[in-house]
Amino acid sequence: MNFLFNEEQTSLGETVGQVLADHAALTGPDPSRDSDGEVWAALAELGLFSLLVAEEHGGVGLGFVDLAPTVEALGAGLAPPLIASTLVATEAVNRLGDVEQRAQLLPDIAAGETAIAIASAELGRGNDPVFAECGLHDGRLTGRKIAVAGADVAQMLLVVTRTQSAPALALVPTDAPGVTVEPHADIDPSAGLCRVTFDNVAVASAQLLGEGSPGALDTLIDLGATAQSGMAMGIAEVMLKRSVAYACEREQFGKPIGSFQAIKHRCADLAVAVEAGKATSHYAFWACSEDAEDRASAASAAKAYCGEIACNACNDAIQIHGGMGFTWELGLHRFLRRAQVIEHAVGSRAWHYERVVAETLAAREVA
Amino acid sequence: MDFTYTDEEHRFRLELREWLATALPEGWGETVFEPEDEEERYLFRRDWDKKLSSGRWAGINWPVEYGGRGATLVERGIFAEEMARAKAPESLNIIGHNLAGTTILHHGSQAQKDRFLPPIIANEEFWCQGFSEPNAGSDLASVRTKAVRKGDKYVVNGQKIWTSYAQYSQWCFALVRTDPDAPKHKGLSFLLIDMSSPGISIRPLRQISGESEFNETFFEDVEVPVENLVGQENDGWRIAMTTLAYERGPEDCLGRQVRFKQELEKLLEVCAVEPTANGVLADDPVVRQKLGRSIVEVEAMRLVALKSFSRILAGDERGPDASVIKLYWSHAAQRMNEAALDILGPAAVLSEGDDDAMAGGRFQTSFLQSKAFSIYSGSSEIQRNIIGERMLGLPR
Ligand SMILES: Cc1cc2nc3c(=O)[nH]c(=O)nc-3n(C[C@H](O)[C@H](O)[C@H](O)COP(=O)(O)OP(=O)(O)OC[C@H]3O[C@@H](n4cnc5c(N)ncnc54)[C@H](O)[C@@H]3O)c2cc1C
Repeated sequence: MNFLFNEEQTSLGETVGQVLADHAALTGPDPSRDSDGEVWAALAELGLFSLLVAEEHGGVGLGFVDLAPTVEALGAGLAPPLIASTLVATEAVNRLGDVEQRAQLLPDIAAGETAIAIASAELGRGNDPVFAECGLHDGRLTGRKIAVAGADVAQMLLVVTRTQSAPALALVPTDAPGVTVEPHADIDPSAGLCRVTFDNVAVASAQLLGEGSPGALDTLIDLGATAQSGMAMGIAEVMLKRSVAYACEREQFGKPIGSFQAIKHRCADLAVAVEAGKATSHYAFWACSEDAEDRASAASAAKAYCGEIACNACNDAIQIHGGMGFTWELGLHRFLRRAQVIEHAVGSRAWHYERVVAETLAAREVA
Repeated sequence: MDFTYTDEEHRFRLELREWLATALPEGWGETVFEPEDEEERYLFRRDWDKKLSSGRWAGINWPVEYGGRGATLVERGIFAEEMARAKAPESLNIIGHNLAGTTILHHGSQAQKDRFLPPIIANEEFWCQGFSEPNAGSDLASVRTKAVRKGDKYVVNGQKIWTSYAQYSQWCFALVRTDPDAPKHKGLSFLLIDMSSPGISIRPLRQISGESEFNETFFEDVEVPVENLVGQENDGWRIAMTTLAYERGPEDCLGRQVRFKQELEKLLEVCAVEPTANGVLADDPVVRQKLGRSIVEVEAMRLVALKSFSRILAGDERGPDASVIKLYWSHAAQRMNEAALDILGPAAVLSEGDDDAMAGGRFQTSFLQSKAFSIYSGSSEIQRNIIGERMLGLPR
């Protein structure tokens, strides 16, 4: 047992962080997607999209946990969410795809040529990311999804849908006839959130991922929730660092504000929350990698808790920066906005706490 | 990162599990519980500690030469899990094992190790901690209890306060002033004091829970042989810092997490059966949200401790990490206890001894007890100062 990342895992995260830092616009005050294409290309060149792909399909064959520091770096650098969703979808294809699907999809994914957006949220379903109104009947997909990050630039959509009898996951090219993608007006214009409408879109059975596998949807939820928790912790950590730096530098009443306990203690509490959140998230990555017995509750615990921590961290950071914190130019609002996108992706906090309880009570009955 | 267990670790778990099954009384946790009377409960815990020792399950992390098993991080994690699983009673000699023993292991002379460590691991001698005084709490370095060297003895005069378990302890480790003229951190020494020495008197203090775990301890011309000085005279502050690092460290957190997890299990058990107007408590979505958060936080305590363990094993110094862990578990546990009372509804106000109290009123007792978590072992404000200044580098 060892709860630390190895050299390779850590340096992967640092390298990705460095690439993102080279594109200052990503975290600048004006939300923009101007550099998204370049960022994608740079990360693809680095081989990011080949990491999770098996060697036989032109990849490196790393496990999900190996990418935990990398996913944190994506969060910290406000990378386009499409990058993480492609990684999640890759792992979903690894686990749920049949031989043909893997042979067909993975080489292009590894080369960075297939970006995959995940379409799960719908209106009118509360915060449940699982129940889809969007239906697949007689090989035709009809319905509407909201808040699909990067659907306008992705090549492929991974759609949570349902057939007459069961939930299903469908892989639908974004250029398939009947697919309409429209950008939303939303809190974080850099996230590329889109409304996606399916109007009688033809979906062959070969496009269904994990067909007949009862745990397919849970697999996607667990991977997605875990990745979101990692990005949330990336944000929380940036908020901590920036708060501490500002508290050391900004002076009032003739002293750095960090010498006032109200500020110092807020920073300390934030540091504690970051530590607890990261531990929870890292464990979820491991549980996903190993398909541990408690995978579902670990992933949901991480999503709920880290989402909460990230939102609070943004609040703290803004407060600690005073009037500066409220300015557009300082750019803290970018993190506050992205934290909201993460908070509502792959199921809300309440939905995931609920899932933790359901899993825990079920495990007690078995024991 | 790896959470899998080796065959050897698995065998360790099974050995412990089997031992616990025979060591705990029949029907333990189902029909048989700890005595309700405070005094009897402590005697019961003392016996349990002795039983642990007889099975070589006390101080498992200590070196084999002092009766331990030299247990690894993983084995300690397994130990904590299995104790939780068996709902094992609390240990009474935590101060002996985690604080006195560990400090002596680090700073004691060979003679002190030979004299004091075996009875700690055998749970024959119990210990208390004489640090705090009426005017030296958070500002521990201002202790005034005086120790004056006279030949081969120190003569100790003064008062300690909040001394937990002094009434059950054979020994006390104390921070005393040996040089009143030196700057306050530089005139302190670390003494091991026999509690049966003439001149020691104890007055119990009643806690908000109604119990009297802690005491005032008075020293009047108490003679302590010089061989009971740990380290050098006037170097006591440095030694006390070791004690505090272990008092707040991940091993402390892991042990406590076990008990919080038992508490949470009990709460889940109550929620699963306690009827409401339309089902049981565990059906109520508001209750479930509160349970969910507590489940996550109690698990996070374990993970935070394991993470710190891994860092220490990788060669990191014990530092402000310990404060992070202490601040986390103390408030997370308080939140769980708040949630428990909240969930119980009108029955929350009913105490132990009332026929209508849920789970024998234990959640109420725990709620009251939990208020101490953010005060002892360094208050939360002190932990925040340490984290802010030593870990984050914020100005004083
Ligand atoms: C149940 C229990 C068991 C205990 N057992 C033992 C024991 O066995 N042995 C032992 O030696 N001691 C023991 N203690 C004592 C404990 O260590 C002290 O209570 C603690 O260190 C706080 O000291 P104090 O009570 O004097 O409070 P004070 O130091 O007077 O603090 C009062 C308040 O002021 C705050 N404060 C103080 N200084 C600062 C500062 N610099 N910045 C911001 N806020 C500050 C504190 O956080 C606190 O909120 C025990 C305490 C409790 C509650």
